[in-house]
Amino acid sequence: MVKRASAASVLLYTAPAFVIMGMVVIYPFIYNIFVSLSNMSLAHFRDWRLTGIGNYLSVLTDHTFWYFLFKTLLWTVLNVFFHVSIGVFLALLLNKDVRGRTFFRTLLILPWAVPQYITALTWRGMFNAEYGAVNLFLENTFGLQIPWLSTEWGAFTACLITNIWLGFPFMMIVALGALQSISDSYYEAAEIEGANAWQKFWNITLPLLKPVMVPAITLGVIWTFNNFNVVWLVSNGGEPSDTTHILVSWVYKAAFTYFRLGYAAAFSMVIFVLLFVFSWRFIRRTHATENVYG
Amino acid sequence: MCRKPVLYLFTIVLISAGCIEKADKKIVVWTSTRPVEREAVQTRMNTFAKNYPGYRFILLFYAPEELRTNYIVSALAGKGPALVHCASDFIGPFSELEVIRPMEDLFSETFLDSFIVDPVPANTVFRGHLYQIADRVGNHLCLVYNKKYLEKPPATFAQLIDWGKRFVQEKGSGYYALAWNYTEPAFAVPFIGGYGGWIIDDRFHPTLDTEPVIKAARLIYDLANRDKIMPAECDYETANALFLDGRAAMIINGPWSWGTYINSGMNIGLARIPKIDETGLWPTPTVFPMGYCMNINLTRDEAEIAAGLIGYLTAPDIQLEFARKYNLLPSRKSVLADSSLWQNPLFRGAMEQMMVGRPMPVNTEMRWIWDAMRPAYQGIFTNQITPEKAGGAMQSLAEKLIEENRN
Repeated sequence: MVKRASAASVLLYTAPAFVIMGMVVIYPFIYNIFVSLSNMSLAHFRDWRLTGIGNYLSVLTDHTFWYFLFKTLLWTVLNVFFHVSIGVFLALLLNKDVRGRTFFRTLLILPWAVPQYITALTWRGMFNAEYGAVNLFLENTFGLQIPWLSTEWGAFTACLITNIWLGFPFMMIVALGALQSISDSYYEAAEIEGANAWQKFWNITLPLLKPVMVPAITLGVIWTFNNFNVVWLVSNGGEPSDTTHILVSWVYKAAFTYFRLGYAAAFSMVIFVLLFVFSWRFIRRTHATENVYG
Repeated sequence: MCRKPVLYLFTIVLISAGCIEKADKKIVVWTSTRPVEREAVQTRMNTFAKNYPGYRFILLFYAPEELRTNYIVSALAGKGPALVHCASDFIGPFSELEVIRPMEDLFSETFLDSFIVDPVPANTVFRGHLYQIADRVGNHLCLVYNKKYLEKPPATFAQLIDWGKRFVQEKGSGYYALAWNYTEPAFAVPFIGGYGGWIIDDRFHPTLDTEPVIKAARLIYDLANRDKIMPAECDYETANALFLDGRAAMIINGPWSWGTYINSGMNIGLARIPKIDETGLWPTPTVFPMGYCMNINLTRDEAEIAAGLIGYLTAPDIQLEFARKYNLLPSRKSVLADSSLWQNPLFRGAMEQMMVGRPMPVNTEMRWIWDAMRPAYQGIFTNQITPEKAGGAMQSLAEKLIEENRN
């Protein structure tokens, strides 16, 4: 009787979550699958019909997909690399007993605390060829004037710099939390054994950071892979020539600028599969969800 | 037991909320006009609201692209504003998606006859239905020049280039003869007309792989890269800032911008974009009205109130005031004939340019043509593609988008 009542309670308490998940995740997901198999577009919005896997074929045979996949991978790898490197480096510095630690910690979190779109638009202004602070500095110091936003790789670099600025505080906070949970006794024992600073970092700090950093990196990869805002706002919707895109920004453009809705739905399904496979394999290979002490 | 009062209270709150919602009806208008214009329109809407005590009349701003996308999304969901104030080229996609309502049943013949039809029809009729009542016409690009640098504008491009080179040499680095948002295809279209071409034919087929398109792109590319009288990187904001700072002697821009220049104390003149020497033709900016479209989801009562609001906001006295204050070209015959407006040289300049412009086609194909032009056209300025090859690339993408959407 007690068991039945408790099962009913569990069902009752979890039902709202299931209903909401069904409405905002499961239903749109299934609907998206249908749209991806249809000819839905600006001209066939109300009278769309299922047309088979044509959209998937056109996604996978279009060089645009492979080119933006390459750019997305490059974007993700570079961003996550710099986020983690800068974040862990700063966390190690802040974990020491330095003067003004609270002040620096607050200061370094600031890029994260400012709304992303404000940061992105501010950086876009700073990269302006005529009036931007970056070019004014480069011109006055080195006599250089870089057309950041009007060339493909200039715009990509501008987006990258903006996102590195935005992303390192998260990794820094995560790493700092992990560092503070490492017991001093490990370092004291290593000290007695005669370990140097590098050995302590490599053999104690890094392994104990791993269980915290791996899920953070996984999240970082997914967020960066899907980071629409920065790319869209800094490059003004993929300029120049629709070359400054990652997969998600291109999907958005295909769907809501070009209204190629069936194609965009198929494209988004392909992105979903890519991320799903990555996350699943990454977590399995790194044993990220397992207890490091166990 | 003790839960019951809470339940009753919750029910009462829900019912009251419903009542409040009913009493607080709204007529919302979305627009992308400038803040000064919005303020004036909202003031007029507040006056109009006195006739409808149960309603609130609200004006909301969206940037043009956001306005288009957000309106489509919300209207498809059965919501959205009562009226959307936009350029006439939004009508193709809006009517294709059936998100705007034909309005011929809401306005009298006399009312409709009071709007201009020449040189461009102010109100937009598409596929036999009236979809937009205009509060202004024109919205076309003109040559705006700073009288501090030029007393008379150049009449041909050869003159412009010649003068521009001397100006840049004299002023030095950071100064330009001309600036405009030339990487945006819509801002390049006048030159295609200047070379005797156009971007679409009568059967709504793109005409982008043509000599005029290639020559127009080549001319613009050369102005920046060969003659160096324009900045190598220039979006709308940069061009505007350069002109306002006095670092660009001329700009190609539309009527929405002139007020800003005048208010900042600049002594400006308006003229036609100079003639193309090779053809002897004037460049042909696209001329299009802006006005109000009505949401398909309105009830009959709401549609009638919204139609009343359109009539009020496009009334001759308001148009005359807006034409005087904001240099807008009116859509009513009586206002366009007002002699006081013709004494203003800016008004005359804009009208002169409009006479050689071409009406903007409103069919949906134009949407795909603009979208198809952008990648290859912008690629010219990043040296990814030559103007000669860009024409073909634009054409094939336009054909692909049209085919993909139509089939």
